[in-house]
Amino acid sequence: MYNKEIEKLLSLAKEKVDDVEIYLQHGKSFSVRIRQQKVDSFNYADSKGIGIRIMKDGKVGYSYTEEFSDDAFNTVLQEAVDGSIHVENTDPVIMDNYPDIDEKPVIYSPELNKVTVDQKIELAKELEQKAYDKDKRVFNVPYASYSDGSRYIRIINSKGLDKEYKTNYCMAPVMVLAAEGEQKKSGMGYYAGRCFNDISTDEVATKAVHKAINLLNSVSPKSGEYPVILSNEMVTALMQTFSGIFSAKNVQEGKSLLKSKIGQQIANQCVTIYDDALRSDGLSSSPFDDEGYPTQKTVLIENGVLRSFLHNTVTAAKDKVESTGNAGRSIKSSLTVSKSNMIIDAQDNDQEKMKKYGDKVIEIISLQGLHSGANPISGDFSLSAEGFIYENGVRTSSLSDFTLSGNFVEMLQNVAMIGNDFLMSHTSCGAPSLLIDKLIISSK
Amino acid sequence: MLKKELTAKVLDTALANGADFAEIFVENKYNSNIRLFDNATQQCMAGKDYGAGIRVFYGSTAIYAYTNDLSEQSLLQAAQAVAKAQSSKEKKIVHDLTKKEFDNKHKVEIYPTDVSKEEKINFMRRINEAAREEGEQISQVDVTLLEKKQNILIANSEGLWAEDERNYIRAVAVVIAGDGKERQTSSSGPGALSGFEFIKSMDPVKLGKETAKSALLMLNAKYAPKGQFPVIIDNGFGGVIFHEASGHGLEATSLARNASIFLGKLNQKVASEKVTAIDDGTLLNKWGSTNIDDEGMTTRKNVLIENGILKSYLIDRLGAIKMNLQPTGSGRRQSYQFAPTSRMSNTFIDNGKDDFEDMIASVDYGIYAKKMGGGSVLPGTGDFNFAVAEGYLIQNGKITEPVRGATLIGNGAGILHKISMVSDNLELAEGMCGSQSGSVPTCVGQPAIKVDEIIVGGRG
Repeated sequence: MYNKEIEKLLSLAKEKVDDVEIYLQHGKSFSVRIRQQKVDSFNYADSKGIGIRIMKDGKVGYSYTEEFSDDAFNTVLQEAVDGSIHVENTDPVIMDNYPDIDEKPVIYSPELNKVTVDQKIELAKELEQKAYDKDKRVFNVPYASYSDGSRYIRIINSKGLDKEYKTNYCMAPVMVLAAEGEQKKSGMGYYAGRCFNDISTDEVATKAVHKAINLLNSVSPKSGEYPVILSNEMVTALMQTFSGIFSAKNVQEGKSLLKSKIGQQIANQCVTIYDDALRSDGLSSSPFDDEGYPTQKTVLIENGVLRSFLHNTVTAAKDKVESTGNAGRSIKSSLTVSKSNMIIDAQDNDQEKMKKYGDKVIEIISLQGLHSGANPISGDFSLSAEGFIYENGVRTSSLSDFTLSGNFVEMLQNVAMIGNDFLMSHTSCGAPSLLIDKLIISSK
Repeated sequence: MLKKELTAKVLDTALANGADFAEIFVENKYNSNIRLFDNATQQCMAGKDYGAGIRVFYGSTAIYAYTNDLSEQSLLQAAQAVAKAQSSKEKKIVHDLTKKEFDNKHKVEIYPTDVSKEEKINFMRRINEAAREEGEQISQVDVTLLEKKQNILIANSEGLWAEDERNYIRAVAVVIAGDGKERQTSSSGPGALSGFEFIKSMDPVKLGKETAKSALLMLNAKYAPKGQFPVIIDNGFGGVIFHEASGHGLEATSLARNASIFLGKLNQKVASEKVTAIDDGTLLNKWGSTNIDDEGMTTRKNVLIENGILKSYLIDRLGAIKMNLQPTGSGRRQSYQFAPTSRMSNTFIDNGKDDFEDMIASVDYGIYAKKMGGGSVLPGTGDFNFAVAEGYLIQNGKITEPVRGATLIGNGAGILHKISMVSDNLELAEGMCGSQSGSVPTCVGQPAIKVDEIIVGGRG
């Protein structure tokens, strides 16, 4: 797609710059929201853009445009050149014609295109209805929706690289509000994947409703240190928030607390974490990264020992290692490092075993404020939380109005058990529940 | 940006299946950001956002489509897509598009594009150097200068034709302090709906120094205590408490879904009588201001809460239909890629009469929250959280030692009643607010306030 535009840009670039990389993205999406069994809104999106990275006189420049015209292409090159003049960074910029991987992950489902708008509306309606029907205490379903989309990426550079891929997804989220007495609780459930026929509205609705009603009649726990079970969903939320600590770019910029820790025991020896762009169940899988470099599986922590960071070609050259195929960028942002799918595999500990770990064990099923109450640079977090308390293995109360605090790396050291309930999240983190030996609870 | 004739044709096409209302939002936005980091300029990036969003209403059902191909063919295609999503018998047509006349209140003296990159980088260097001079423990300084020039056109089937230009500028400094074992960060991000004169009026040395001092202070501080205490929240970004505890719940987006604790509470007491809260999109050159909202309505000053009594919600065009109330000039969106919805602009608790010293003196044991970070809320339950970035202990009526950041949590229904003192040092602070229609510039603000009790998510 877009051969004409690319040819034009390449020919303009020849006159103005030493090397050029063109990053082209075209995305389409659709969503429908249901309110009281009627269509509340439809959204159709269609957007494209080109981001360029240029080299001129040993300096790197960036620019982008969403307008595709000869004028816009002239401007985009000029802006990139103008910007490059002021750049003082002398990192090597490497563009090359990288090879392909042998077996590409399946990240596009043609079946998804065959789903009709009526089927999508029906599904969202069903989701809302089921959420209401599950429990009388559900007084509102503020959000029941279906969305899907596709993304086309093409990367071309002046060293002869020209690669493309297409990926798609569908999602069905629902949010419910349940009330009993004065208390109101909310719960979210969702499907995220590529297969319309796999969406079980019953499962999604049940998850949201259970989350909300199980939290009703909650009390505040006593402040103190407790063994804590983090539900699989909360583990993935924390992994997503702190995934940047594994970025070699952050390490090199002094923004990661894992700096100079390669080869050291930084987590409990039961912990293995890896990044894997090749899984077909991951929404962040791709055959190559945003430099066109082949993607792979990279072990980050192996039995508690830090083995590798995530690299693009620039950070890799600085550390004198190979890129791990984790170059990330969008049309509007410069080259960085991005995780793909970050995974902790399941082990064989069941929930019952975790609940009996101490006289009192707190399970966390909801965390709020991750963007403000968690600091990826220090690793500290202090978050609004909800969950349950187990006394001698038996759930005695649901809990709310408290915070959970700790430090992400300390937490990895204190992992006592890894659960058997693996969950792949919509943020492309996959993990089972974890039992943490101790975390801090603050309350009234 | 688009010819009137084509615009009318697009609107007529969008109305062709009997929609009640059609609107087009066209945007052409120049973005620039320069980043200074590791003592060197790392990046000068500029680019252009370009596209249009077309929206129709059938009753209270909203259909939105966007594209960044502004050719006639592509726009008509998008208009047809929204038109055919539903149908009704009554057909409307656009008669005449009349230009909305208004003064640009938010004057720009110096267009940032007329200022050399050298001058901009020089300003950034001064922040960097001032921060690093604070000591060896300052391990990293990250300074970004952001510029945005947004040209918009809004036309709708009621005959509106409104064009506006918005110039934004913001400097963001993030300072990391480390001692080899631990790291703490501090950030500042002053911004305005203004030209480069805003940057010229700033003291970069002061900005760098203060941000660095805060990071150092936190590096050497112990963890905040855990439990429920009285908290004095200082002015400026402290206003994030009202933004989260109340502001989001007053947006039609939540109210119309019955997902707000403030539904049905107009003219009722929802806060302590000390609390008067205002959302004012007209404040000159303020970060959250605009001449017109993103639906073309002139922005205004909305008194939300007056002496504790709930007076107004924040309502966009669709929210007005759903709630049968008048819009308040609050329809906002990040870009053409979002349908507008009700949002805050510059939202703040107004000045009171309490003396700051008296407020501190009234606390036996509690927290003085000098600088705040961000927060969030679930409007449906009212449960909110926000982070203290720089805190101090108050013991026996005196500010004693610094304590590290912690999250404060509470419920919007209760917390506004617990505001027992309000000082007179009102100040606004700039931030980005994320919600259904994307990320938009907003100010939060307040004078120092005393909250009688709130849960402090500390570790100490």
